[in-house]
Amino acid sequence: MSVDFTLLKELLVTRLRVPAELIGPDVTFEDLELDSLALVEFLTVVEDELGLCVAEEDVAAHFTVAQAVEALADKAVRS
Amino acid sequence: MSRDVVVTGIGLVTPAGIGVAENWRRVCAGKPTAAHNAELDGLDVDFACTISGFNAEPVIGSRKAWRMDRCTQIAVVAAAEALADAGLDPSSWDGARVGVVIGGTVGGCATVEAQHHRLLNHQSLSPMFLPAALVNMVAGEIAMQFKAGGPNLVTSAACASGAMALGIGRMLLAADMCDVVLTGGSEAGVTPLFVSGFARMGALSKRRDDPAAASRPFDADRDGFVMGEGAGVVVLEQGAHARARGAHVHAVLSGFAATDDAHHPTAPEPSGAAVERAIRTALADADVSAADVDHVNAHGTSTPYNDLAEARVLRRTLGGRACVTSTKGVTGHLLSAAGAVEAAYCVLAIKHGIVPPTANLDRQDTQIDLDIARGAPRRLPVRVAMSNSFGFGGHNAVVVVTAP
Repeated sequence: MSVDFTLLKELLVTRLRVPAELIGPDVTFEDLELDSLALVEFLTVVEDELGLCVAEEDVAAHFTVAQAVEALADKAVRS
Repeated sequence: MSRDVVVTGIGLVTPAGIGVAENWRRVCAGKPTAAHNAELDGLDVDFACTISGFNAEPVIGSRKAWRMDRCTQIAVVAAAEALADAGLDPSSWDGARVGVVIGGTVGGCATVEAQHHRLLNHQSLSPMFLPAALVNMVAGEIAMQFKAGGPNLVTSAACASGAMALGIGRMLLAADMCDVVLTGGSEAGVTPLFVSGFARMGALSKRRDDPAAASRPFDADRDGFVMGEGAGVVVLEQGAHARARGAHVHAVLSGFAATDDAHHPTAPEPSGAAVERAIRTALADADVSAADVDHVNAHGTSTPYNDLAEARVLRRTLGGRACVTSTKGVTGHLLSAAGAVEAAYCVLAIKHGIVPPTANLDRQDTQIDLDIARGAPRRLPVRVAMSNSFGFGGHNAVVVVTAP
């Protein structure tokens, strides 16, 4: 499975229960009111889903969802 | 210190139902809830009493609910019901004067088991592992949900935890440290690890062929308790505070006492001396005599040892007049929640003038010389009701509630 906006949005909605209407490519995790624990939970969910090893520093709270797609896609290529 | 402490609200989420009304109907019907549990498949004991159809999201909110263990979710939902029943609105209260004291023992054990499984599989742990699993979080999350900024703690006294919470909550009110305290207990320990642990101790019923008949307090054929999960929250309030706001008072929390057997980790002290002392002290605290007690919701776990020992102490301290029941025949043993839920049932017995029957009590143990409600609910005026709770560690807690 590849990393794209649709997948990250789906994980945010189904696993962290973020309302779908709040999520867009240019919205940051801070805008989505993910605290530090929720952001790490999100990365854990991504790891499970994609079989990646994601470090906490790979995605920051000020990242937009599009930037997270880019960072995680890069991890997927390298792993 | 004023001992004028009243019960103004109740909330229940148990195998007998979600909400007070459903609970009361089910325990009065004496219909057991124990059933086969798929999560326990293949284990020596594969049945339990669980809450069906529970969904925390409408009360807690979907973005918060997933961050909590089930033991916290059910407590928060019970607290919401209790506050609504009390007519208290957290958006307008002085939260600094509102305390939270909840009984808990195994904490977020399902979370612990799931995360340990991840560790063994070399998967990353959830950052919510500890915030969900720590046993104090049930009280902390209630504070966050309802902006209750007063004293906040969990009482941990095994199966006496819930009763202990009511007693400590009452002390906070009597010491004028709070106007209102949300007290109660919560436990969600129906997991393979914990059920197997209790089974290995020989504490659980092994009636796999007929789970519904397994929890049978005071019956000659009882063979152990049945694990249950649940939460009960009771709003306690200084009497003057409740009266000043025109609240409906369900009952008075008139007496409490706690003792310890100081004897053995799990076996009750054979003479029952510490239990007797707890009962006599709680009745003195309530300023009632043994002959005044109309109803006892016994600890009555359905283990051969507890029920006989408890019955002997009840006979010795109260005589044979009080109408005794054990609602664990319906709910199973809710561990830390048991004392709070059963104290709440005592309040409902006062309110409705009804003592629920002991489910599955087909043939009373001939060594037990008590008047135990069985078959159908017993209608009788209840002015003074007592709830017993005992726990591993030798903890004994007795709560007395009286009609307002």
